[in-house]
Amino acid sequence: MAAVRYACRDGWRLIVRHWGMSLLTIFTAMSVFFIIGASTLFVLNVRNIVSSLENQMTIQAYLKPKADVKAAEKAIKALPYVKETKLITKDMALERLRSRIGEQAKAVMLLGENPLPESIEIKVRKASDVAETARLLVAVPEIEDIVYAGRVAEKLTKVSGFVEKFSIVMLLVAIAASGVVLFNTIRISVYSREEEIGVMMMVGATSTYVTLPFVIQGFILGLTGAFFASLLLGGTYYAAVTRLKDMLPFIPFIESTKLTGKLAFMLICCGATVSLISSLMAVEKFIRKASKPL
Amino acid sequence: MEIKFSGVTKIFQPDIIALEDIYMQVEKGEFVYLVGETGSGKTTLMRCITREVIPTRGQISVGGNLLRKINRFDLALFRRDIGVVFQSFLLLPNLTAFENVAFVLEIMGLTPREITERASEVLKLVGIWRRRNLYPPQLSGGEQQRLAIARAIVNSPSLLIADEPTGNLDTHTADEIMQLILGINAAGTTVMMATHNQYLVDTYRHRVIEIHRGRIVRDEEQGRYEHHGSC
Ligand SMILES: Nc1ncnc2c1ncn2[C@@H]1O[C@H](COP(=O)(O)OP(=O)(O)OP(=O)(O)O)[C@@H](O)[C@H]1O
Ligand SMILES: [Mg+2]
Repeated sequence: MAAVRYACRDGWRLIVRHWGMSLLTIFTAMSVFFIIGASTLFVLNVRNIVSSLENQMTIQAYLKPKADVKAAEKAIKALPYVKETKLITKDMALERLRSRIGEQAKAVMLLGENPLPESIEIKVRKASDVAETARLLVAVPEIEDIVYAGRVAEKLTKVSGFVEKFSIVMLLVAIAASGVVLFNTIRISVYSREEEIGVMMMVGATSTYVTLPFVIQGFILGLTGAFFASLLLGGTYYAAVTRLKDMLPFIPFIESTKLTGKLAFMLICCGATVSLISSLMAVEKFIRKASKPL
Repeated sequence: MEIKFSGVTKIFQPDIIALEDIYMQVEKGEFVYLVGETGSGKTTLMRCITREVIPTRGQISVGGNLLRKINRFDLALFRRDIGVVFQSFLLLPNLTAFENVAFVLEIMGLTPREITERASEVLKLVGIWRRRNLYPPQLSGGEQQRLAIARAIVNSPSLLIADEPTGNLDTHTADEIMQLILGINAAGTTVMMATHNQYLVDTYRHRVIEIHRGRIVRDEEQGRYEHHGSC
């Protein structure tokens, strides 16, 4: 198809002719798609952390010194949300302490008797159930104190919910912004070729033929922007994760290249779609006006 | 390509009557001069044929196409079969002379080789082959005129619409351009040419349609530029 070749050549010429504007457009598109990708990665990581915290979510209920262990366990099991319980005897507690701090744990025995309280380890079903369960546990008479690491998860859940909502809004705003920038660039190109388009239509160019170079121009700009955004994102993300892993070894960051690859693919598709739609819109309006007879 | 106007009236906003109740029939292969004083409506009539203008009333049919009904795509195909020399040339200033001709062929989907062949041929025909790499602003008025004609005929149209193709040219050059257009007509292309050049109309006698204030006031075979004879 000769026509497609001419359109590609003209599209490329438009980019080169307005090279300053082209660079600016690519840069803007890149920034926007970078933001989109970064916020997506952030949300995915938060989700990942929350779900991993959810998996190891337990509440420690320390019993009063002379409490009835059986009764306590029964009362706890009767509570809603509780998935399973496990009794930690004084000896087990000491063993755990020893495994954590080593031989210093022997110091505890200096008092003669093991002072560690018996406790019950409670697993709940969901992160959101932790707080409620903890509140109910306080009412159990045999329990002296409760401790749960899930406090963080509970907060994280709230944060991640908010982040997700916020990032969806931001995503839409960002996509609209890139669309507007691309639209504007294409419109300027269209106006720079106003005369040419008029003559082309007079000598029998179809509207598709006139439109194609501009769509190609927009497509290349949007795609290039998205492509560089995913490169940049990949680079910065892995650099950041390597650093963060050293500083925060207990946080499970997403490192699967499959996932980031998917994200890059999504970004590029997004760039292609946005640029196609906005350049089509920019040209179509103009052509309808230009081809209207007096 | 035959042309038929029936009862065509064009009123520009708010109340300029550019054409009024035009009936006209031009057969395939004819050569027609369109004469009339400035502002009489010659350009408007031609723009009705190319469908740059849609009449306020009346029907126009060109080569079997009803121009009021034609859709965007068919209009594009229709325009590929007509050549237009605009009164103001409408050459593209940032394309070379060669490219100005070539892009018409690109639109028609010819391959680069066919384009080079055909465009070179036409530029040689109109005599500006040596100027092919210059841009329109670097060309003289006569050369621009030739280029405009080259662009109009490069697609071998069935109908050539020429709006004062010899304006601002000396008699000798005008004569050369005229020979060119007559040659195209001899090859079978219908030609409609608006002109103020009395010498050409009286030398190369053909059908003359005279317009006065938007109305056809004279239509004669082998006519002259000015009306002679009884009222
Ligand atoms: N787009 C337009 N809007 C309003 N009036 C117009 C328009 N085009 C042409 N006219 C008017 O229509 C009338 C006919 O104009 P036209 O250009 O057809 O004349 P013409 O015969 O070609 O003149 P010339 O010999 O000077 O080229 C003129 O009065 C002109 O002002
Ligand atoms: Mg005129």
